[in-house]
Amino acid sequence: MILSEPQVTVSEFEARTGWAVKPEGLCKGEVCVPAPEAAVGDDRLDAAVLSTKLGMPLVHDEATGTWALGPESLGHSLTTATAPDLELPDVDGNPFRLSSLHGRKVLLVAWASW
Amino acid sequence: MALDLDPEKARPWIDAASPTHPALIDRGHITNELFGFHNVPMAVWIDESGTLVRPAESASVEKRESMGPLPDDLPARIKDLIDEAQQIPDIGERYRAAVLDWVERGADSPYALSPDQVVSASHPRGRSEAEAAANFELGRHLHDAVGKDAAVPYWRAAHTLDPDNWTYKRQAWTLETTPEGQPSDLMQPPTELYEGNWLDDVKASGGGANYLTKPAFID
Repeated sequence: MILSEPQVTVSEFEARTGWAVKPEGLCKGEVCVPAPEAAVGDDRLDAAVLSTKLGMPLVHDEATGTWALGPESLGHSLTTATAPDLELPDVDGNPFRLSSLHGRKVLLVAWASW
Repeated sequence: MALDLDPEKARPWIDAASPTHPALIDRGHITNELFGFHNVPMAVWIDESGTLVRPAESASVEKRESMGPLPDDLPARIKDLIDEAQQIPDIGERYRAAVLDWVERGADSPYALSPDQVVSASHPRGRSEAEAAANFELGRHLHDAVGKDAAVPYWRAAHTLDPDNWTYKRQAWTLETTPEGQPSDLMQPPTELYEGNWLDDVKASGGGANYLTKPAFID
């Protein structure tokens, strides 16, 4: 997740990572990590706290003042078997949301031109 | 879903296939983070409720065609590369049969895993792999916002931090080795910018026979 400051809005964090901000902490599937110090005001989170609590590396490019917050590192690439509500564009830029396929089996294949 | 920084490189393949299913573009390889993809082709299976029933693993549904005898005058490095590529296991028939079994029998298919099995079988990700993901994404952002050269230090870091991630490596290599206006280069020979290249990295990781993350149901 690309950030222009070491903070992220709750909505952006939840949409990109699949983690949810709940009263009991930061939650994904059955996993909840207490992190009361992550809140910055009502709608923002401290990226450094997220990095510490969830093992999300925070990488900084000084020249552009940009941060990248990586995924959680809790042992496996999946923390839950619930598929994230991913939105990606098609080749013409039209957005497509994975959850629009609920009710159907999905074979999600990663390929590349290279 | 194509892991392609430049969607126009994927477009000819999509046009040729003319798929009836959605054909998406993941420019930032964010599905590596979300699902654990680290090479192509890989796939996950998602059931009607939106639950993963197989984690990211190598996927192919067609038997690979034999290349036949190679011309004698091929350069040695190209021969070497083709030899390694031919050692990559051909899982197409068994993988296709497993997919069709799941389509027909759903949760009763022996190939459909429980949620706990899916999570525990998903690709390992520790601090180093997560840091590689952050570096790759920062490089992708700087590639777009600043220029190609700005991405290089971060992509080099991603390659070092997660040497088993082929999408980070091959995406970066092919940008260097593909001539302007040409289809993506698949050979990815050595460059001055990156330490690795396809042939030498495949050899270093045990050869083409070890290239795939084979599903557990395929020996």
